[in-house]
Amino acid sequence: MNGAGRAFLRLLSVQGSWNYERMQGIGMGFAAEPLLDDLRTTEPGRYPEAVVRSAEFFNANPYLAGLALGASARAEYDAVPGEQIVRLRAALAGPLGALGDSLFWAGILPALSGLALAALALGAGWWVVALFVLAFNAVRLATASWALSTGLASGMRVGGALGASKLPRAATRSGAAAAFAVGVGTPMAAAWLLHPFGARGVASAVLIAGAGLGLARWSGARFTATRFGLLALGITLLLRLVTA
Amino acid sequence: MPFVLSRVDDRLIHGQVVIGWGRPLGVQRILLIDDDVAANDWEQDLYRMAVPEGVTIEFAGTAAAAARLGAWQADARRSMLLTGSVPSLVRLYAADPVALHRINLGGLHHRPGRTERLPYLYLTPDEYHSLVELELLGADITAQDVPSAVPVGLGALA
Repeated sequence: MNGAGRAFLRLLSVQGSWNYERMQGIGMGFAAEPLLDDLRTTEPGRYPEAVVRSAEFFNANPYLAGLALGASARAEYDAVPGEQIVRLRAALAGPLGALGDSLFWAGILPALSGLALAALALGAGWWVVALFVLAFNAVRLATASWALSTGLASGMRVGGALGASKLPRAATRSGAAAAFAVGVGTPMAAAWLLHPFGARGVASAVLIAGAGLGLARWSGARFTATRFGLLALGITLLLRLVTA
Repeated sequence: MPFVLSRVDDRLIHGQVVIGWGRPLGVQRILLIDDDVAANDWEQDLYRMAVPEGVTIEFAGTAAAAARLGAWQADARRSMLLTGSVPSLVRLYAADPVALHRINLGGLHHRPGRTERLPYLYLTPDEYHSLVELELLGADITAQDVPSAVPVGLGALA
């Protein structure tokens, strides 16, 4: 089987045609096409149905989608019955979503953000921001590359390979690291940002934060930090316009 | 204790379930009700990998689950009931209408015969009518994919 390099590049755009009907399905089909190309000569009868299967409904964390992509392509070459491949993809989607979301969105991303905030507050220059972007992308590209090659190597045995890997442990640990880094980085960054504004600045920040906590408690989960931030910004701008 | 969430979601355990609902609700145990998964060891291994440490999963087919609803609620752990299909939900509701009194429609995806009701919710006419019947029996049913979304009542899904 050839085409792993091209499949990896195409996998970078796996969310490019995301829609609610198939979610990442079209993106997965697009990435699978270079992998399945050799079937045209080895098993021309199987090729069209393999392409159709590869583009069915799918959704997982985009950085781990390669595990399902590689495993199903390998299974096509291993002449695994089609309905088993469909089942494999369906069974992988949810767990890869949960693992990847824990690892990246609730782990590595906030952990690195917290570290970057702390470094900024300690006086590191703005190059920290560039380093943060580079570091995050290095981790996710390395993970995505590992995912695709592991999937390609294991086929239907991908579940075992995933269990034997460091991924499940890393997903749990990165959550703790994120809680620590954000807990340290946020107050440091707040103190650093508020320093030039003196006591009045600190008092208004405390007031706004208190209002946010109160509203979050009162309204439940629907009141997200982003929504509150935008609301606070809007009120501030309005007050400035009125008092100006 | 009563279930903290009873959810219908054909992707079963994924990011929205573990991070979106599991964390704020403090879920300690997920009761995954699906006939195919209950009969398949390697799929169960996959789902076990997907939950954080400290969260356990119990697998059951619909018929077995209907018989265990009482025992599950006698347990002190905070549990989320999760099923992937409307017929399975109907069966569970019939077994214990009080336990499944509040139902969360979290995601049913495109399939031939289903039409879009919400971006994350596609239903066949039969599925929709089954849900309406459950509501007439007293169930409180809303569609809501993540906690930060606005819950939508069945009437708006017709």
